[in-house]
Amino acid sequence: METEVRFTLNGKPAEVLADPLRRLIDVLRDDLGLTGTKEGCGEGECGACSVLVDGRLVNSCLVPLAAVAGRDIVTIEGFRKTSRFVLLKECFADEGAVQCGFCTPGMVLAAQALLSSNPHPDEEAVREGISGNLCRCTGYSSIIAAVLAASKRGEGLW
Amino acid sequence: MKDEAWIGIPVRRTDFDDKAEGAAVFTADMALPGTLHARTLRSAVPRARIDRIDLPSLPEGYHYVDRSDVPGSNIMPNAISDQPFFADGRVNYVGEPIMLIVGPDRQVLSDILGDIRVHYTEEKPILSIEEAEAATGGFIHGGLPYFVSYEYGKGDFERAVSEAAFSVEDEYRTGYQEHAYLETQSMLASFVGGAVTVYGSMQCPYSVKESVEAALALDPENVRVVQLPTGGGFGGKEDYPSLPAVHAALASMKAGKPVRLVFDRKEDIISTTKRHPSRIRIKSYLSPEGRILARDIDVCTDAGAYAGLSSVVLQRLSFSVCGVYGVENLRVRSYAYATNKCVSGAFRGFGGPQAFFAMEMHMEHISRRLGRDPLAFRRSHFLKQGGTSSTGGLLAYPIRLDDIADALKEASRYDEKAALYQKAAASAGCRKGNGAAPLRGIGLSMFFHGCGFTGSGEKDTLKAKAKLRKNRDGTVEILASSAEIGQGSLTTLRKIVAKTLGIPIGDVVHSYPDTARCPDSGPTVASRTVMIVGRLLMDCALEMKGRWKEEEFEVARSYVYPEGLSWDNDRFQGNAYPEYAWGGNVVEVEVDPVTYEVGVTGVWGAYDIGEPMDERIVAGQIDGAVAQGLGYASMEVLTAEAGRMLQDNLTTYAIPTSADFPRTKARLIPNPYKEGPFGAKGLGELPLVGVAPAFASAVGQAIGRQVRRLPVTAEYIMRLMDEEADDGD
Amino acid sequence: MTIRRPLSLSEALYMRQGADTVLMAGGTDLMVKHRAPAGARPSFTKDVVLIGHLKELGYLKVYDDVARIGAAVPLAMIIQDASVPGYVKEPLMSIGSPSIRNMATLGGNICNSSPAGDSLTMLYALDAVLTIASAAGLRECAVSDFIEGPSKNRLAKDEILVEIAIPLMDYNRFFYRKAAQRRANAVSKVSFYGVAQVSEGRVGSVSMALGAVAPTVVRDRAAEAMLIGAEADGRHKLSERALDHMDGLVVPIDDLRSTKAYRRRVALGLARHFLEEVVGL
Repeated sequence: METEVRFTLNGKPAEVLADPLRRLIDVLRDDLGLTGTKEGCGEGECGACSVLVDGRLVNSCLVPLAAVAGRDIVTIEGFRKTSRFVLLKECFADEGAVQCGFCTPGMVLAAQALLSSNPHPDEEAVREGISGNLCRCTGYSSIIAAVLAASKRGEGLW
Repeated sequence: MKDEAWIGIPVRRTDFDDKAEGAAVFTADMALPGTLHARTLRSAVPRARIDRIDLPSLPEGYHYVDRSDVPGSNIMPNAISDQPFFADGRVNYVGEPIMLIVGPDRQVLSDILGDIRVHYTEEKPILSIEEAEAATGGFIHGGLPYFVSYEYGKGDFERAVSEAAFSVEDEYRTGYQEHAYLETQSMLASFVGGAVTVYGSMQCPYSVKESVEAALALDPENVRVVQLPTGGGFGGKEDYPSLPAVHAALASMKAGKPVRLVFDRKEDIISTTKRHPSRIRIKSYLSPEGRILARDIDVCTDAGAYAGLSSVVLQRLSFSVCGVYGVENLRVRSYAYATNKCVSGAFRGFGGPQAFFAMEMHMEHISRRLGRDPLAFRRSHFLKQGGTSSTGGLLAYPIRLDDIADALKEASRYDEKAALYQKAAASAGCRKGNGAAPLRGIGLSMFFHGCGFTGSGEKDTLKAKAKLRKNRDGTVEILASSAEIGQGSLTTLRKIVAKTLGIPIGDVVHSYPDTARCPDSGPTVASRTVMIVGRLLMDCALEMKGRWKEEEFEVARSYVYPEGLSWDNDRFQGNAYPEYAWGGNVVEVEVDPVTYEVGVTGVWGAYDIGEPMDERIVAGQIDGAVAQGLGYASMEVLTAEAGRMLQDNLTTYAIPTSADFPRTKARLIPNPYKEGPFGAKGLGELPLVGVAPAFASAVGQAIGRQVRRLPVTAEYIMRLMDEEADDGD
Repeated sequence: MTIRRPLSLSEALYMRQGADTVLMAGGTDLMVKHRAPAGARPSFTKDVVLIGHLKELGYLKVYDDVARIGAAVPLAMIIQDASVPGYVKEPLMSIGSPSIRNMATLGGNICNSSPAGDSLTMLYALDAVLTIASAAGLRECAVSDFIEGPSKNRLAKDEILVEIAIPLMDYNRFFYRKAAQRRANAVSKVSFYGVAQVSEGRVGSVSMALGAVAPTVVRDRAAEAMLIGAEADGRHKLSERALDHMDGLVVPIDDLRSTKAYRRRVALGLARHFLEEVVGL
């Protein structure tokens, strides 16, 4: 049974007519064509499906559509238009923080969520901030370095 | 900065932008009009005849696809070809694919799958190496409990044994490891007008092509395979993807529409290939002065239900298990046992991690038994240039093990810490660990990785070919089947070509391989991509450079087996590999005396990979491999109960998070290899193979016990500490 | 099955009458329990009533030495609140990951009723009191009375857990530790939570709870009673007696994560560490 659910998506009003029990990840990827959000495990373990809801990092594979009514959702497609992303991207490039790329959109959003609440994290805080985003390629070191670099270079951005 | 492809100096990866922006199109992201979905019905039991299957009738637009829909061969081509694409009246492991259900709505597919009833007559499964060894009949395949067995020797083993003063004997066991690539197995096939295109997540487009041709009985020109951005492989996408590729292709052929097959995580963990569990026994015979005169090594691997790549893994394991040591008298026997569990296959290191765990722990044990410094004892046995490998192949190139050892010692302060921790261990007596202070230890390992395919594979089987094409507009295109799986091949191969030609890297084009356009350069495995394929491309570029004035042309090169090498595949004598990459690790740990949990406080690595093509890519590969190695050593527990994997999701199968390990401090020891492009050897696997024994030795020192199995879990540490110390450790 | 989003607590209570429903706040446990493959709908067998957004369940107030936390407050919000003491926050910080903590709630943890629930050891040790609403009104229940066993609790079909009240005392000793497969984002193999108040060298109060060693969290009040008024003299006599008693209450199991031998050893080892090193008995 379909319901209309309204929310803000990447800064614009969105309206989806769908089964409200459907997972947000499926709505984003299949209904709205936003495939930057990835499915790695389907149970909130890997973070590849991370999106921002009201600025907070959540696993979209665990969120039923009905729960985002009235909320503000940002996916990688929205975030990549921001100047914060431009800096994060440069730092990821400089540190070699992308290998296969599958965890990357989730990592970038996790970095954004972390820096939004803690613009000058130490290494431990960065490790914790991305601890819900699994990566099998990089061993995390380059990603941690990239986020630390972004916090140093991003004066005034966060 | 001018965009020149300096070798060594990092450049921005050419696949970076799309991946960072979430714009890279992975298989599950790709949309073709009318694409249907597919779900796989898999065996729920480890060994059985299938008596019948009760299938609900299907709504319009839905199809079943099974063995009866295979027009060609139902057996997947592989090193040894025995695995059916679809179960043919019987199943041999939990997760074996029986049939596909195909249709437009995934909810409906899920419901249909849930309504299917398979009626099995179960048979007694063989579930371990020991059960296979003990079996006198009821073998899974043919008349033997193992798929292959090997034996080779060196020198005069019997005489050396008779001259020995004493011996040290050990047995080691290693467990399964799951690749846990972030992107699960994914394929998308489109069959139109008698030809099929398969897009997907893979390491080896031509392996997939061969399988699709065989199963669909299609001529080569009617099968096109295109690799898409691939979210990690690590060996798990070396041969396994041929199964979902063939499934999707058959489904598309039957349904008349494109079919996409994406595994869910549980399905992926349960049914795809894994690292071989092993049991390795080593007996070393020593002279009165403590020089190792001879070794007798017995290797058993748990190969699972089909042979797959187990013969090649066993070969590499058998050749590597003698370690970095020049022991002139050897006897090595090895067996790959068949069991009713998922197929064991390729995983970064390919037998190396098992081999070096056993040999390095054994060397550690001997050195402690003799009261000698573990590093000094190893050094006294190091292989040297001019010596011969375990299979009698001349080691013609410089071997920089001493430099590797020195670099590690200096960086980690190994000597000082080893002495300190050994003293603390000795004075703590029975090590019940009742204080609050953590127990400390430091361990080291030395290892190698043979670069390129094992034995004469490059020459006899792969026969790699690569092409360069110069376009009118001055751009140059790389045409090779090497797959970018995160290891940076799209970037490093471009650098090699650009540097050789003296043109900007931006002028070199290299897309994901498409068999319609690229020749077969061999699989993306065995750390061969830069060393072998890169060299072919460099040779193409050298010719192209000489002909640069021509407007538009192609140059091709095929693999040439280096002069001076030889390999006897029947007796396993000669050069098992054209060249070796060498390395060492030091790992420092603290063991919590109350919870027995291990914290890693330092990791160091020193590696000879010839020359780096891109230092940042190299550093990334080292970091990632070390993390996988530490996971293998400590937390990646995968146990089979009644033939079924117990840990079947990423909650229960734990891979490292960002919170678990400190960053690796790595150093490269330059040692250019003249056959490799710009001196390069192989990189991808080397930094994983020696991590586990360095970790395990460190734990062993901290707790004053011998560690004999992987993974070294807290529960195992507790059991060890409850037992008496042995060997005066 | 469908999912409904009431606009108020009273509407939610109304939805709880009639056919069986399941309440969802953050969904971090339920969406995993009822997961279906990609593209298929989560496999709930009852209608889902969302309560995570309800303002009536989203408050956090600390006054009169009690922290009153609405059942749908995300763990991250509790952790970020400066008025919540560290001995309440610390176990919450070890749950899941940052994204999980943004969605998971104390109400969800309690109603999930897992013997390994990391927040539960803290709630048991601090004698948290639950307020439960139904159409008939409110009732209170101690958390240890509310949870009966793994995935079993006393929430009636028409009830909604609305508040968790945590009494705050001037504890000056605190120790929490969980043992797990890795350092982040892991389910406890075994966990220990302890708080105490020691003044003038004597134990004024002590409270301990063990997780994942029995069908519910273990709180050994008899062992605690042995220690009240005891001198923190470092002689380990009373701690031995208390630990001995706790050993008798612990009934761990073997499972895919760990073994009963390990759980018993580590639970008591952590308790010993707390009593001897932290409290000084």
